[in-house]
Amino acid sequence: MSKSTIRMIYFPVLMIAVYGIIFAFMPDRAFLAFKSSGIIFSNIIIPLGLVFILMIALNLFLKPAYIASFLGKEAGIKGIMLSMTAGIISTGPIYAWYPMLKELKEKGAGSSSIAVFLNSRAVKPFLLPIMISYFGCLYVAILTVFTITGALVAGYLVGALVEKKKL
Amino acid sequence: MKIAVSADGPDLNAKVGFRFGSSKYFIIVDQDTMDFEAVANPGASTYQASGVQAVVLVISKKVDTVLTGHCSPTAIGHLTVNGIQVLAGVDGTVAEVVERFKKGELQRQPGVESTPETSANKIDKAALVHALRNSANQFIRLLPVLTGVVLLIGLFNSFMSKELLSSVFSGNISTDTLFGACLGSIFAGNPINSYIIAGELLAYGISLFAVTALIISWVTVGLIQLPAEITALGRRFALVRNTVSFALSLVIAIFTVAVINIIGG
Repeated sequence: MSKSTIRMIYFPVLMIAVYGIIFAFMPDRAFLAFKSSGIIFSNIIIPLGLVFILMIALNLFLKPAYIASFLGKEAGIKGIMLSMTAGIISTGPIYAWYPMLKELKEKGAGSSSIAVFLNSRAVKPFLLPIMISYFGCLYVAILTVFTITGALVAGYLVGALVEKKKL
Repeated sequence: MKIAVSADGPDLNAKVGFRFGSSKYFIIVDQDTMDFEAVANPGASTYQASGVQAVVLVISKKVDTVLTGHCSPTAIGHLTVNGIQVLAGVDGTVAEVVERFKKGELQRQPGVESTPETSANKIDKAALVHALRNSANQFIRLLPVLTGVVLLIGLFNSFMSKELLSSVFSGNISTDTLFGACLGSIFAGNPINSYIIAGELLAYGISLFAVTALIISWVTVGLIQLPAEITALGRRFALVRNTVSFALSLVIAIFTVAVINIIGG
């Protein structure tokens, strides 16, 4: 079994073990916990289906490799907007992007662009169904606007503080 | 026309690198002038996703053709759907293989893979299968931890009382928001888990300020990934970005909830 598989399953396996132990000593509590988990699952099953469909659409139309070509190509406002778009549509764990970001930084991509990319990742289009099912459309819309604004502000501040210059 | 050749060294006399993803360099050659640029492959020193790093690099250089020893079907798929022709199975020095390519000899060589695609047929059956496989992989990788989180919340609901939770989240908006941002900064992983945790906390009556700060800092601040970020992007950048992002998660939480309150009356 690969390390990444072990890393992926150790947490749920640990949880199942905890349930087993609790069931041995407090079966009522274990049943209650299991029932509560079942309710949560039933609440997210439809949004999860939508998440999967959105994932397919993103993978079909947006190639991860293509996203990288957005970064560090343009200076100024246009470059920042491209970094923001790249961050929003990027998928996968952040550590997979670090080597590429390092390469782009060495090739001249600004700290602002990279910070905007990293912070824009807080907007996840394919997870919107789950978010809306928990918090509603209004909250998600307002939070998305402020998250994007926050990413731009973060880019400005990081650029100013790290490179000691304005955008 | 630009050609990318995977190589063991940084010049035209270097041997063609056998594996596309883990070759040390890519020599980007202008077919007409033979001007070249040697680019170190960021994927050569990484164990994970080295093929993706190489694909990203080649696409960003806007090359038309890749010449290499061996290229995985996944990498070929990424490259061809971006309109890049891949010729694998080539051997010799970079200068030699480029000359052979210019003479049209490589296409005729047995065992050479050549699968060019035009932009007109980018979304074909193969691309759909590829997207389905990628999505299924991403989804399957998301499920184990998601299941663990849901089971943990089940336990939380079974054992946690409102009184106990109140001892952590006191009801004071300032400290609760700060605490929410701290929690989000410590935890990492797919943000879907933060939505579920935040949703359950909200159901317990925890303030929307705290819950929003948790959701934002979950992705933008990463204490666990900080060493990796420092290694990749430098200490100053990583520390400044995480500090700024932590402060902004508080500001975003305050603004978001304030606007909702204004709109909601």
